[in-house]
Amino acid sequence: MSVSGTSAAVRAEGAAPERRARLIALIQSRGAIGVLVLATIVASLRFPFFPTVANFENIGTAASFLGLVAIGQTFVIILGGFDLSVGSLIGLGSVLAAYALPYGWWAALLVPALAGGAVGLVDGLLIARAGMAPFIVTLAALLGVRGIALVLAKNSLVIATPGVFGLIANGQILGIDNLIWIVLIGFAIAAIVLNRTRYGVAVFAIGGNEEAARMLGVPVARIKVLTYVVSGTLAGLSGALLAAHLSSGISTAGQGEELKSIAAAVIGGVLLTGGVGTMAGALSGVLLLGLIENVIDQIGNLSSYYQNLASGVFLLIAVLIQTVLTRRRR
Amino acid sequence: MAIKTSWVVTSVACAAALAGVAHAQSPSPHAAQMIRSRSKAVCVNPHPNHMKISAIVVGFSQSQGNENPFRAEETKSLKDAAASFHAKRYVYTNAHSNEAKQVADVESMINQGAQALVIAPLNSTGLQPAFAQAVGKHIPIITIDRHTAGTDCTDYLSFMGSNFYKQGEIDGEQLAKATGGHAVIAEIQGAYGNSVETARTKGFAAAIHKYPGMKIIAAQTGNWSTTDAQTVMSQILLAHPNVNAVYTQSDTMAFGAITALRDAGKKPGQVKIVTIDGTKQGVQDIVSGWVYADDETNPRFGPIALHEIQNWFDGKPVPQTIVIKDHLYTQADAKSALASDAPY
Repeated sequence: MSVSGTSAAVRAEGAAPERRARLIALIQSRGAIGVLVLATIVASLRFPFFPTVANFENIGTAASFLGLVAIGQTFVIILGGFDLSVGSLIGLGSVLAAYALPYGWWAALLVPALAGGAVGLVDGLLIARAGMAPFIVTLAALLGVRGIALVLAKNSLVIATPGVFGLIANGQILGIDNLIWIVLIGFAIAAIVLNRTRYGVAVFAIGGNEEAARMLGVPVARIKVLTYVVSGTLAGLSGALLAAHLSSGISTAGQGEELKSIAAAVIGGVLLTGGVGTMAGALSGVLLLGLIENVIDQIGNLSSYYQNLASGVFLLIAVLIQTVLTRRRR
Repeated sequence: MAIKTSWVVTSVACAAALAGVAHAQSPSPHAAQMIRSRSKAVCVNPHPNHMKISAIVVGFSQSQGNENPFRAEETKSLKDAAASFHAKRYVYTNAHSNEAKQVADVESMINQGAQALVIAPLNSTGLQPAFAQAVGKHIPIITIDRHTAGTDCTDYLSFMGSNFYKQGEIDGEQLAKATGGHAVIAEIQGAYGNSVETARTKGFAAAIHKYPGMKIIAAQTGNWSTTDAQTVMSQILLAHPNVNAVYTQSDTMAFGAITALRDAGKKPGQVKIVTIDGTKQGVQDIVSGWVYADDETNPRFGPIALHEIQNWFDGKPVPQTIVIKDHLYTQADAKSALASDAPY
């Protein structure tokens, strides 16, 4: 996976500065993976209950809903925007899945995905065509979509017979939970799309310098709309999988996930200013947040406030390192 | 006479059982939970193993952050009870209002070797995968404070909690008493999306329905939040200055409503307020004259929950539903209750 922007900084420099620039770029893109590995080792040595297959699966499944949302969020942030609607879309997606299930398990996946995509389409059009700020547009969607979810289901809906739909989330393939497969395959596809397709190149180009991208003939508006559609679709799908996992449509589900997905991406080295980031980094960010939650729980009697504190500290450190590294590279 | 004697015997037995429970709890000035009713339907362990709580790992899955006084007291109660029962180890998790996390929390506690679980469900549904895990390992579960979907005796042994519908009804009756059956009522409801709000709304409506002179003129959600309730109350007062009664579904929201009423120039007692929770703040508001009645929701589940888990291990019947007796705080006892540190 390449990191956009490195080549320009590296080009036409001497051998030593080039090596230094490469190192900085490596820390920026792979730092989160390193921290994740380190944290896993420390937690494994410190807490006897941590390094078990069951616990790793537990972290993985719990993080999978955030993971799917983080994929879309990473595309959007690299593009230079962000999407606050995804948390509410998880709630709407789970409610729609519960309502659509009587028509078939495929409907319970398709309807939430389409609804999420439709919200993303509206967001994208308002941002790309009408030139409105992503913050305001997606904030409006955050509020509006949550309202729709609550109107559709004031209380939670019980899915009495999840059947195949339940198996999609709770089954296993080769001894590994399906949810983990889904999110891993999702990240793999996303990484290929981001780095090996013209669409991916366009996303980096727009996030790096929108004007330059436009002059180079990149269809800026179309790429932007498409990216918000992808983000919305994945959020709707995440809600559907949550419904399958919990056998319930929960209109209040997903609150705060929009900010957690942004935090995960940033911890993973995705620059909030756009143009820089990797899917592997974002995945590491998701897992790091999941690991913090898990470890704080293992400590047991420690108040869960520390969970927020630890996540906050991680985020701050990540941003601090990013800022320093970016300045060094210039 | 024979019947009466046997009733006495039963009640003595109950009192003894309760005394046992009370004894198990560390001495505390706080009012311990009392039981209003036990369901006839019970769960009995087919293979009692007579394990002692002192020999096992006990887990508690809390649903929401402890910034809420109810949650804080509940968390403390479970922790204290685990200590007074000398649990081998006590593990605690907090789902922080995230349904998926609560499932993961329960699984994580099972992985950590929990042999009995107490769960405060976040939602009226959504714990099925967690129950499935526990069932597979024969781990008894007691659910507390919010009812959640599941099969009695299979998914969980028992639900213990307040009757939220009844709470709404009691507040309706209290408001009728306070206003002589003539009221223009503003209702500030809890956050939408869970059964607590629905039950408290329905119970109140049912009680009010009996009084033709009482009318709910505005009903809005205050999201269990003081600031939201204050905003909602201010807006309702602008639209309906003739409001003379307020029903809030939690003490936090009552506090917000009081602030709004005070800002609008109202005096304590001018507008009758009834609320639910029985927190220190709520009872204090009775003393200061703002609140007419506050129906308690006692969060101190620890001793009774662990007591029932012990019963399960011993092969004794565990009631499928245990309704907690909630105290109604009024002007009559608010001061003495505060003095004895009973409210949480």
